[in-house]
Amino acid sequence: MRFQEVEIRKLSDTMWEIPRGGGMRVPGLVFASEAMMRDIVHEEAVRQVMNVAHLPGILKHSIGMPDIHWGYGFPIGGVAAMDEREGVVSPGGVGYDINCGVRLLRSDLTADALRPKLRELVAALHREVPSGVGSTGFVRLTEKDEEKVLTQGSRWAASRGFASAQDIACTESGGSLPGADPDAVSAVARKRGRDQLGTLGSGNHFLEIDEVAEVFDDEAARAFGLFPGQAALLIHSGSRGLGYQVCDDYLQTMTDYMRRNAIDLPDRQLACAHIRSPEGERYLSALAAAGNYAFANRQLLAHQARETFLRFLGMGPNDLGMRLVYDCGHNNAKFEEHEVDGRIRRVLVHRKGATRCFPSGNAEIPEQYRHVGQPVLIPGDMGNASYVLAGGPEAMRLSFGSTCHGAGRRMSRTQARSSVRGKSIVQEMERRGVIVACASLKTLAEEIPEAYKDVSEVVGVVHDAGVATRVARLKPLAVVKG
Amino acid sequence: MLEARGRDLPDLFSSCILALFSLLVDRRTVRGEEVRAVEGAGETAEEQLFSLLREALLLFAVDKFLARSARVTMEGKRVTLTLAGEPLDPGRHSVAREIKAVTAHCMSVERESGGYLARFVVDV
Repeated sequence: MRFQEVEIRKLSDTMWEIPRGGGMRVPGLVFASEAMMRDIVHEEAVRQVMNVAHLPGILKHSIGMPDIHWGYGFPIGGVAAMDEREGVVSPGGVGYDINCGVRLLRSDLTADALRPKLRELVAALHREVPSGVGSTGFVRLTEKDEEKVLTQGSRWAASRGFASAQDIACTESGGSLPGADPDAVSAVARKRGRDQLGTLGSGNHFLEIDEVAEVFDDEAARAFGLFPGQAALLIHSGSRGLGYQVCDDYLQTMTDYMRRNAIDLPDRQLACAHIRSPEGERYLSALAAAGNYAFANRQLLAHQARETFLRFLGMGPNDLGMRLVYDCGHNNAKFEEHEVDGRIRRVLVHRKGATRCFPSGNAEIPEQYRHVGQPVLIPGDMGNASYVLAGGPEAMRLSFGSTCHGAGRRMSRTQARSSVRGKSIVQEMERRGVIVACASLKTLAEEIPEAYKDVSEVVGVVHDAGVATRVARLKPLAVVKG
Repeated sequence: MLEARGRDLPDLFSSCILALFSLLVDRRTVRGEEVRAVEGAGETAEEQLFSLLREALLLFAVDKFLARSARVTMEGKRVTLTLAGEPLDPGRHSVAREIKAVTAHCMSVERESGGYLARFVVDV
């Protein structure tokens, strides 16, 4: 298969290699089926995988996941691991929405029991969980509070009674990233985030009530507390304006750094600094702080949603049994240990629209899941399905313990809006059995199911590659969109 | 990708700023009651535009300020943007989307017959 002048080599039914050429320091590796690859080669995302391969200190491969699509500089669905001493860190390798991610809450309710009350419950969630542009959270943060959010993440939420020990244990990195420094976050970024903690945001962020429609792996589903017919809650949000501003601020810092250090790369949106430079270290401190904000944000959203369920259904917490299965980010850069050239090395793994997926036995996984692998949450589009996966046996060898993060866009937002002109998306979704409440009809039009690739196909690739294996399929029943 | 035109650079920059606010809100619903001014700078027209767009977005992102009209003046490498508008009133303004950032991706300012054309991309 060819991408412009480049011959892409098929390695297996799920993996494709883009050979080194020009200034590429490593080859590219794309996870995709043959049918998906035929579409991917028509996208600029392949060029972006090649561009990322030019970055100083990149190890093994510049990787693209099957949900890959064009992003600023790095592709979305991209993974790049950097040598700690020689390598660089790039804000574009993380994205604007730092530590954007997903959390899944299970319950003891069945979807059938919930169905008659669903419409009113969705209205209550839409009322109680702030969403849309300009919305403010239910917690008023002082400057001091915000500093604690930035250093402690979900642990701050626990100190205020908004998180349980179970919530903390089942959040990636315990909901608190080390090395966070609020002073590395600009005053503007902090101001941008101060009244947004506990807000969903807009765009592709959502809160979704799902039914566990199918279980593929009984043992893992049991460990995660999932069963067929169960009602569950999926939340997708990130670090809000604070994270966007941290990315924007450091893109400028690193553009200046590259100019001063004569680093020449094919795309200026790959702006980066050496990990061990003052600029690189300061960005990593700000990145951890914004990541902590995102963990605390999703924790507050989950708290508000859980309280709404309890009040609306008139149930006690033990009867509802709504507890966190897992919270994982999909826009981050983290220091991890991986085997490179036969020895274990500490590397910085950029994941932009990619999810960490450590296999069974890894000490980073909560103890109750360690025998089955890390839970991985893959939201699809709002009409069809989302998936729960577990970190697979090949993840460390093939992809630095990383997998896909969603379905991946097939249409631009403008194309999506044009394709639905004149149609009522809310009615269309109701016909498909999904109740929708939203803050903006324009945003909703950009998020139609047809705008996304088939998430089942995306998940099929990472399952077949052994990177992350299927545990359960979720079917959306109701969605609250920002 | 947004495109805007202007007869000269100040006019072009004003058009770009108004395009940015039009992505957020129907500007006809915004009253021009308050005046805000921000400054930008840059070696090239692209850098000057980028800096003004970032400052204008921050006025909304931080202060919830929406603009109805815009005027740009230039003095050497410094550019001043003066906006007339008002703070967001959720009762009267419906904000269509969140803009995360103005990006440098594909940003261009070109001369064309009768004036200038600018292109830029925002992340939503």
